[in-house]
Amino acid sequence: MTDKTIAMTAAGVETDVIPARGRVVKSKWMRDLLTFLMVFGPGLIVMVADNDAGAVSTYSQAGAQYGTHLLWIVLLLLPVTYFIQEMVVRLGIATGKGHAAMIYQRFGKWWGLFSLVDLELVNFLTLVTEFAAIHLALSKLGVDPRYGVPLAAAGLIFIVLSGSYRRWERSVVFLCLLDFAWFAIAGRVGPPFGQVVKHSLLPSMPAGGITPDLMFLVIAIVGTTIAPWQLFFQQSCIADKRLRFADLKWARLDTLLGAFITIAAAACMMIVGTASHAHGFRFTDPAQMAIDLGRFGGPFVRDGLLLLMINAAVLGTTAISLSSAWAYGEVRGWPHSLQFPVREAPGFYVLYLISVAAAAGIVMIPRAPLQLIILGVQVLAGVMLPSAIIFLQLLLNDKELLGEFANKPWNNWVNWTIIIVLFVLSVILAVQVTAPNLFPSAAGGPTT
Amino acid sequence: METMKNPSHFLVVHPLDDVPEVKVDTEALGPMAMTRSVRLSLMSLRAYLVLMILLVVYHVVMLAR
Repeated sequence: MTDKTIAMTAAGVETDVIPARGRVVKSKWMRDLLTFLMVFGPGLIVMVADNDAGAVSTYSQAGAQYGTHLLWIVLLLLPVTYFIQEMVVRLGIATGKGHAAMIYQRFGKWWGLFSLVDLELVNFLTLVTEFAAIHLALSKLGVDPRYGVPLAAAGLIFIVLSGSYRRWERSVVFLCLLDFAWFAIAGRVGPPFGQVVKHSLLPSMPAGGITPDLMFLVIAIVGTTIAPWQLFFQQSCIADKRLRFADLKWARLDTLLGAFITIAAAACMMIVGTASHAHGFRFTDPAQMAIDLGRFGGPFVRDGLLLLMINAAVLGTTAISLSSAWAYGEVRGWPHSLQFPVREAPGFYVLYLISVAAAAGIVMIPRAPLQLIILGVQVLAGVMLPSAIIFLQLLLNDKELLGEFANKPWNNWVNWTIIIVLFVLSVILAVQVTAPNLFPSAAGGPTT
Repeated sequence: METMKNPSHFLVVHPLDDVPEVKVDTEALGPMAMTRSVRLSLMSLRAYLVLMILLVVYHVVMLAR
């Protein structure tokens, strides 16, 4: 492999007119590997960032309440999350534009504004919950959150300010790879491997059968695995990275790999929750679970879990804030790329900065209404997810827009089935959150 | 992609270093054609949103009591 500059167009024809930096390799195998590594990123990031602080809480609560019995549901979500994000990949590569811009241009201002306002609102409220998790985990680590939370916010702002998409992507991919520590901790504290495999592959019900509590936890698991911001984030990310038509198969592989990693990490969170249950601890929140498990697992387990909780919140924060900033920039027609320095895209960076700083600021307020914020996230996500997926499905059937990249009939069968299931689950969740007295036997609502 | 001077050598270019591709001109396309399936989907979405608004109003009324 050499590192030299060659004049070459996107189609592979040498030219003196438009220069492009490239690497020359001598085998097809190396070409494919290098191309994949260059395309790799958006799929992994969107999937791993989805295992944010709320996801850590939901999966570990599921493990703490029902052991490994719900692992098969997590596995079932692997194709669902892949199919949805694969549509986003096609849309992003074919149009080179973000999801918010597409909704605006193809469905008009009303739907465009509705999607944008809903996205910005639910994203901001989710950011507050991410910083609340950072605050909680830092307190348990013995770090004063008055210094730790602003420091985390400053770090999150710093990683986007370099004016280089690649630098941001490398930093975030590194954080994503830290998620592999979940495997080490789950392996150390979890139940026997045979039990994990059995409950992952064979659907089973916990003792007590289907109760409202179980049903709502299942809905929360689905809701946390498929989030509206993911659609906006990955499409904008692909547009910002300027992925080409020829990159489609590698972008699909990136997304599939990300889906496997995130589902495996989610299963590990559930396994860790199972360990907490097996030792007789009552689940209140993941930070307390880390302290409880640390009593027999040692400081590696305790500090490892708390740091993973912070990492999950940091990953969620950068991805969610960027999805907000990209979407707003697309709709307003502002320059909105991580490739631009701050002076060339001030609105984009200021929006990112405001999102992060305001969310961090809210959790620093004593007695901030976090429960109300969590309720807001649940309701708005319930409104947002089905509508965002409907728009996605309609756009993917838009042959005028996508041509050969449009959905095939089998795609539509799979996707409409997913959409109908998500609609039903979202309605049930919204009814539970807004009218809990309609479910008198439910002891408590789901977590975010 | 093979280089023209040496077919046994392959050039790999990072997407950000490559020449930008010509994508579909979405602005020229204008709004999506309102076929029956599109209209039905958007109507279902409107019904869903009305249901959500009613649920939130119900929640607020119950809280106010």
